[in-house]
Amino acid sequence: MSIPHDTFECGHTLEELSQYLDTGDFPDLRHLETCPDCRNGLDSLRRLSTAGSELFSKDLAEAGSGNDDWMKDILANLKLELRPGRSIPLRSEHPADTLTETEGSVLALVRSVTDLAPGAVAGRVRLEGDVTVPGEAITVNLDLAVAFGNPLLGSAEALRQDLGEALARHTELNIAAIDITITDVIDTPREEP
Amino acid sequence: MRDQLDLVPDAILAGRAADGDTAAFEALARRYGPHMRACARRLTGQYADADDVVQEALVQAWKQLESLREPAAVKGWLLRLTGSRSIDYLRRRRNHTSLSALEEGGAGREPAAAAPGPESSAVAASGTEALKAALSRLPEEQRRCWVLKEFNGQSYEQIAQTLNISPASVRGRLARARITLVREMEGWR
Repeated sequence: MSIPHDTFECGHTLEELSQYLDTGDFPDLRHLETCPDCRNGLDSLRRLSTAGSELFSKDLAEAGSGNDDWMKDILANLKLELRPGRSIPLRSEHPADTLTETEGSVLALVRSVTDLAPGAVAGRVRLEGDVTVPGEAITVNLDLAVAFGNPLLGSAEALRQDLGEALARHTELNIAAIDITITDVIDTPREEP
Repeated sequence: MRDQLDLVPDAILAGRAADGDTAAFEALARRYGPHMRACARRLTGQYADADDVVQEALVQAWKQLESLREPAAVKGWLLRLTGSRSIDYLRRRRNHTSLSALEEGGAGREPAAAAPGPESSAVAASGTEALKAALSRLPEEQRRCWVLKEFNGQSYEQIAQTLNISPASVRGRLARARITLVREMEGWR
């Protein structure tokens, strides 16, 4: 078929049909079911859309995998800056010493303890409360992804305890609560034992 | 499950990356890098440029991740950054090209993807080859709209922001691109 003009005899345009395919908006939806010109136009645009998807699939395959050298080169060049976050004061033996740890290192600790729990992966971690003031009550908010069928889905008590112990050992924060929210369930093959 | 970051949902990776976890960020980069590269390559015309664009987009993503409101939407966000960085790259290249063309007194580098040759032969091997050839003959502005829509799935509003034009212009350019492509493709049928 051919499309001689942008405007069909029925008065509608290919631009309207193009928008209809993207948004579903069209001035007269019933017209689309009966008008042969519009139906032909839509068929052509849909064939183009299919060809576009095929080209994208081909390009995507050609682009390679995220484990290829091109990505390794890019990652090596990134030089990601660290995110230290707030400075958390630590007690010192000598008043003249100012010791601190970074909030980023505490978040990393929470992540690493969480990741050790079978079937669990930490997401975002937030320390609520003013960590720059010694002794302030701090609430840890942890987003968690859990593998499907994992007992953690029922109770995060053991993890809460592990986190409490690790934070007590490695920080001087006054942890008032550890709130764990399971935000995602990982639907994957069972982990290797 | 630390070793299985590649299996973890986007939102979790994006949340960790925003907290400063470089391993989570790299897992996101590996996951969507190929899509970003494919988009940037179709916009800039070659992998060498596409890799520069992907790298710029990832640097920007790392800096701005904390501002991403919906971590689950990180894929679309990365692709939009890729589109924007590609357009910037093309603008810089065009300026550079017109300068060097002046200096050398000759034609500069070919514009992106406008490669004549076997691809523009009327006996294109397949639909995708025909489409590639037709795409390469589209006006630059129309091709950008088309790639941002069809490769990245960006909305009219998002494309408008990327190209700094109105959504109505996006609708018009996209429609003109498709009309031309349909004509050329159907000619080969």
